[in-house]
Amino acid sequence: MAEVMKLPFWRVNVLTGLKGARVIEDPRECASLIRRAKRPLFVAGPRAIDHYFDNGKTSLEYVLEIARLVNMPTCATAHVKKRMLELGIKPDSVYDIIEIINHLKDPDWQGVRKEGNHDLIVFSGIRCELAELGLSTLKHFAPHLKTMALCRYSHPNADYAQPILSDEKWKGYFEELVTNLQQ
Amino acid sequence: MVVTLERDDVSELIRSEDMWEPIGPTPMPEIPDLRNWSMRLLKTYKPFYAPFCDLCCLCTYGKCDLTAGRKGACGIDIASQQARVVLIACCMGLSAHGAHARHLIDYLIEKLGEDYKIDLGMQVNVEAPIARTVMGLKPETLGDLRKVVEYVERGLIHLVSSTHTGQEGSDLDFEVKNLHAGMLDLLVMEAADIAQIVGFGYPTSIADTPLVDIGWGSIDRTKAMVLCIGHNAASANAVIDYLRANDLEDEVEVCGICCTAHDVTRYSDKAKVIGPLSRQLFFLRCGIADVIVTDEQCVLTNVPEEARKTGAALIAASDKICYGLEDATERETDEIVQEMVDDGKQFVIFDPEKAGEVAARVAIEIAPRRKKGFIDEAEAQELAKGCEKCKAYMCSQVCPNLLPIQQGMQQAAEGSFDRLRSLFDQCFTCGKCEQECPRHLPIAKIMQSVATKETFKLRSGRGPVHDVEIRKVGSPIVLGTIPGIIAFVGCSNYPDIEDVAEMAEEFAKRKYIVCLSGCAAMVAAMKKDEEGKTIYEKYPPDFDAGCILNVGSCVANSHIAGAAIKVANIFATLPGRANYEVIADYILNRVGACGVAWGAYSQKAATIGTGFNRWGVPVVLGPHSSKYRRLYLSRKEEDDWTVMDGRTGQLVDTQEPTPEHLAYVIESKERAMVTIPKLCMRRNDTPQGRQIKLSHYISLYKRYMGTLPDDLHHVVRSTRDIPLVYKKEVLPYLKEMGWKEKPALSLPTLIGTYPSKVRLEAVIH
Ligand code: SF4
Ligand code: SF4
Ligand code: SF4
Repeated sequence: MAEVMKLPFWRVNVLTGLKGARVIEDPRECASLIRRAKRPLFVAGPRAIDHYFDNGKTSLEYVLEIARLVNMPTCATAHVKKRMLELGIKPDSVYDIIEIINHLKDPDWQGVRKEGNHDLIVFSGIRCELAELGLSTLKHFAPHLKTMALCRYSHPNADYAQPILSDEKWKGYFEELVTNLQQ
Repeated sequence: MVVTLERDDVSELIRSEDMWEPIGPTPMPEIPDLRNWSMRLLKTYKPFYAPFCDLCCLCTYGKCDLTAGRKGACGIDIASQQARVVLIACCMGLSAHGAHARHLIDYLIEKLGEDYKIDLGMQVNVEAPIARTVMGLKPETLGDLRKVVEYVERGLIHLVSSTHTGQEGSDLDFEVKNLHAGMLDLLVMEAADIAQIVGFGYPTSIADTPLVDIGWGSIDRTKAMVLCIGHNAASANAVIDYLRANDLEDEVEVCGICCTAHDVTRYSDKAKVIGPLSRQLFFLRCGIADVIVTDEQCVLTNVPEEARKTGAALIAASDKICYGLEDATERETDEIVQEMVDDGKQFVIFDPEKAGEVAARVAIEIAPRRKKGFIDEAEAQELAKGCEKCKAYMCSQVCPNLLPIQQGMQQAAEGSFDRLRSLFDQCFTCGKCEQECPRHLPIAKIMQSVATKETFKLRSGRGPVHDVEIRKVGSPIVLGTIPGIIAFVGCSNYPDIEDVAEMAEEFAKRKYIVCLSGCAAMVAAMKKDEEGKTIYEKYPPDFDAGCILNVGSCVANSHIAGAAIKVANIFATLPGRANYEVIADYILNRVGACGVAWGAYSQKAATIGTGFNRWGVPVVLGPHSSKYRRLYLSRKEEDDWTVMDGRTGQLVDTQEPTPEHLAYVIESKERAMVTIPKLCMRRNDTPQGRQIKLSHYISLYKRYMGTLPDDLHHVVRSTRDIPLVYKKEVLPYLKEMGWKEKPALSLPTLIGTYPSKVRLEAVIH
């Protein structure tokens, strides 16, 4: 696709808002961003349950593996809780997507572990339009935290987003991310 | 500076000497009059914004970028800008309903006179609960309904004006205005529906209105067909009048899409419903319609082009949608018919009777030429082979539901249609995919092969809930032993078309009162059980526990709000006249109602939902509605749930988040299934009522989430609230959560917790 000009010098003509995601092409950088966070939170949505890769794994399984490796608490939105329990994992918190975003907006919220609000929120498995709007809320009203979208469709309203990826490449990204976090 | 109508004018308009009830503190309220009530709601249910756009481009100072705390050149910030855009949307919605009501009422006054009496039959004495409560007016004639519209028009001008640059600057005050717009919207919809019920003689005071056919399969394709699209049935009804007068009813099928379909079936049970808004383009493309009559709202703006493609004739019958066509209103009917038949000309005709006659005559003339129809699987397979499986997946990229169309096409090309069938259930035929497809694959046409050809049964709209029904259910609703009133309303921008039927049936089985309207009422009919029955055939049509009723088109949504008002007014005998705060407070604290607009897409739906919120009714929205960009949310753990005990005059910290939110978006049907019953809980529930509500909440939560609800400790007030069957599990859970019994109160109210003219005694009944 031809490149679309994003920002001319004369900003009154801006074609889009001035704050957009940094695309993290390299899973190693993604791993280091996650590792550097002090109080990260993984928010998992229902699409992570339904999305199967060709190796039979769901994206939720990668999500849980990532969270486990860095001892990151999880938030199960929609009806994700049930599947997590079936996988033998108790979510650290259960909020619907709008509720968790509403909490995260508040800098004084104590977070799911009551240790203070989170500094990096990693999202995966949320319907695109809803995720984009929720990320927009955080972009505008939660300057105290950073957001990362692990979604193969990419999310401009996040602080960090994956590039647009084919299913195969997305799986590869997850695998590499996991390998990096294991090290 | 507030310019209000003089008290004398108000007094005259509402005939204050007519003492059917004492006049409350807010007759014909203007924006400032209910500002404190709205602010009180907004204190608990704070606006939550999800900016859909970072910019503002409304004036020539801009564009202004509002990210990262920046302000526009006019000083506005991102939150206020969101609230402002919502107000623009709410004003669009209000004006669409207001103009619709204005047209219908003026048209019917011209036909029947302004003194034409309002009579909604034996079962409906409180004819206009919203007009009575908001304005203090008891409408007796069509002329009185015009007064309602005039009051709304007056309010609308102030609301729209606030959206201009350099006007309102507070997000909260924009929200006050949004709530005001919503209130006016429900009011004017009530006037519109009452006008059409009395003016067109729609059924009223009966619950078992006829079961009518829905689905394209129901059309007799050997007959000529007139398709009416939109919301204002004046012209569609005129088609029926012409057919009746000329004994042609058995020769022409009159069908509708969207709310005109609901209303034309209230006029004639021979009329048929094609389906909801989301099937508009799909159906136009199949070319079965001989004549298309468009009226107003939610009509595709490219109907002339689509009609030309299939050879259908087109009449635009509303000043809202003229499509640049020649105005033939004053021309001879014979001449118009001839030009449409011979030359394929399309016209705008503002006179409904003339439009009706032309539509019927043209349909009869051109029907024999009709060649189009649904394609079969073999044809679809051939067409699907054209998919080049492009790497860019343009069809999916532009699809609002990100549907994997390529997969569906690949499988269809191989002769397997199951994937495509399930995609069709999630598709609302916007046509964006085929617009972008480099091969210009006719995707909507290919979908014809998988669209069900069955005929379903829909109960036609019944209008207001009966006073006698309210007398029967008032007490169990307020005590909580009927676990809730659930209203599935609004458009068809669903995650999946089958969701609504499934949810409606689940709650009917659980003995909730289930009301439907608009496109939601239609799609709920488009699913059969193993015995071939739709929910309208399986459940009684009363406003009662375990029943399913269709109130009618979008404007009939007002009757659902009206039913909640009647519980306060008829059952609890609270005077409603010009007594908005008392009635809304009663509904918020006592009437366990919850709206579900699972596929809301329009500005009108935003206004309707906001109107319900001002009455204290929470509304659950589907995922696409996040694009409305504003919700009203609480945070149950952190927020203050103190209310007044009306009987003791003491403030009581109830620690009980009921209802928890007022406007709330949910991602999945499963989550909606557990949230809806929770939003039906009210502070006033008796222990017996709360037990029933909790037993549904717990059993649905266990089914969809696998455990006891995580927030049980917030909604169990005393051990008497715990359903017996769950006691063994719930008690240890509560103990683990450190739960303590919550304070009891006898008459929960917000009155007395904010500045208001209403005295606390006014809530005691
Ligand atoms: S209305 Fe305000 S924010 Fe919008 S373009 Fe004008 S100055 Fe900028
Ligand atoms: S027509 Fe259906 S599949 Fe195509 S873009 Fe629209 S919703 Fe998606
Ligand atoms: S855009 Fe057209 S050609 Fe490409 S995958 Fe979709 S249907 Fe096939």
